[in-house]
Amino acid sequence: MRIKRTLQAAGIIGAAVILGLLTVQGTYALWSATAVAAPGTVSSASFTVNLTATPSGQATTMTLPDGKPANLILTPAAALLPGTSVYGGVVVTNSTDAGGTFNTVATVGQPAVANLSGGTLSQYVTVSGKAAASAADCSTASGYAPLGASGLASSAVPKSGSTVLCFQVTLSPSAPSAVKGQAVAITLPLTVRQLCGVPGGC
Amino acid sequence: MKNSTLIKGTAAIAVGAALLLGGSGTLAAWNDSVSAAPGTITAGTLDVAKTAAGVWKDRANNTIADISAYRVVPGDKLTFTQDVDVTLTGDKMAASITALGTGESNGFTSNNVSITGPSLTVGGTAIANNLTQSANVQKVTATITFEFLSGTSGQSDVNKTYDFGNIGFTLQQVVAGDGLVPKPAGA
Repeated sequence: MRIKRTLQAAGIIGAAVILGLLTVQGTYALWSATAVAAPGTVSSASFTVNLTATPSGQATTMTLPDGKPANLILTPAAALLPGTSVYGGVVVTNSTDAGGTFNTVATVGQPAVANLSGGTLSQYVTVSGKAAASAADCSTASGYAPLGASGLASSAVPKSGSTVLCFQVTLSPSAPSAVKGQAVAITLPLTVRQLCGVPGGC
Repeated sequence: MKNSTLIKGTAAIAVGAALLLGGSGTLAAWNDSVSAAPGTITAGTLDVAKTAAGVWKDRANNTIADISAYRVVPGDKLTFTQDVDVTLTGDKMAASITALGTGESNGFTSNNVSITGPSLTVGGTAIANNLTQSANVQKVTATITFEFLSGTSGQSDVNKTYDFGNIGFTLQQVVAGDGLVPKPAGA
């Protein structure tokens, strides 16, 4: 009797499974087709800015491989005398590999003039700046304006384009002889930022 | 007695044969025939096919020839469109089409990008499933967008990649209307 009941139960379960499969089969056996497209990979650009100092000729990327900002030394060619100026500059090149428009602007902030070795020279030094088309323009005295808190901004620099920021350091005619032989370290913070070149993009 | 039985048997056979002969007379009576041609049953068609490569465009609607060589910057918004041809024939044909992106790999910071789609349109109008039969191929367009948000600051996400993987299109016949297949029990 037990075997008979077992067989009956198995038969009922089997019939239910088959009936269930047959019932849903109709909804899944309809036609279907597929197609596949591969949009590809979108890559972001590098933000590479190359700097070249004049007159020192030092060249570097603005951001070093370790991610830290670079220090660029201009090193004026001449000594500073009262009432005279020395000149330097930096060529800023937009070297991005961006696919579309990628304009940048270079900005120099307010200079920091620090005395070295306990000197007092800094109070007699003024730093001026101007944007120029070539590094050769830096040694031309015209066009310079003192660098204040608002700093100095270049015009837009497109992909593969360059701009030149020139600096003039002037020693006051009233500088006392006590500052002879002294030196100052002038720090000019340089920032390059992206301009939005695509209408509606920013 | 044996002879009697033999005689009876022979007589029975003879009567049977006579009946057969008599029956053959019905073959000679009137008869007629007619034929009908039910015709040919032809199956419909269901197909979805990609017949051309998809196209990437930038925010200014300029075509990007090679997305693998293009480098996005903050403020960029790229749009990818992929046309597929849908063929549906059959008097009771109805089908739904869906598109699903699979295998994406995002190397960007999620807050710096905005990705939409794939969304489907027919003739510029958002698709309203189900599609029905048409004598002409129906162009269905899938669209995805990638925006590198202009709020991205510093040097975030330079030299990163977003792999879109695949967009799978599935065209599935559906039962719309009566008379196609029985409804499942309990449905």
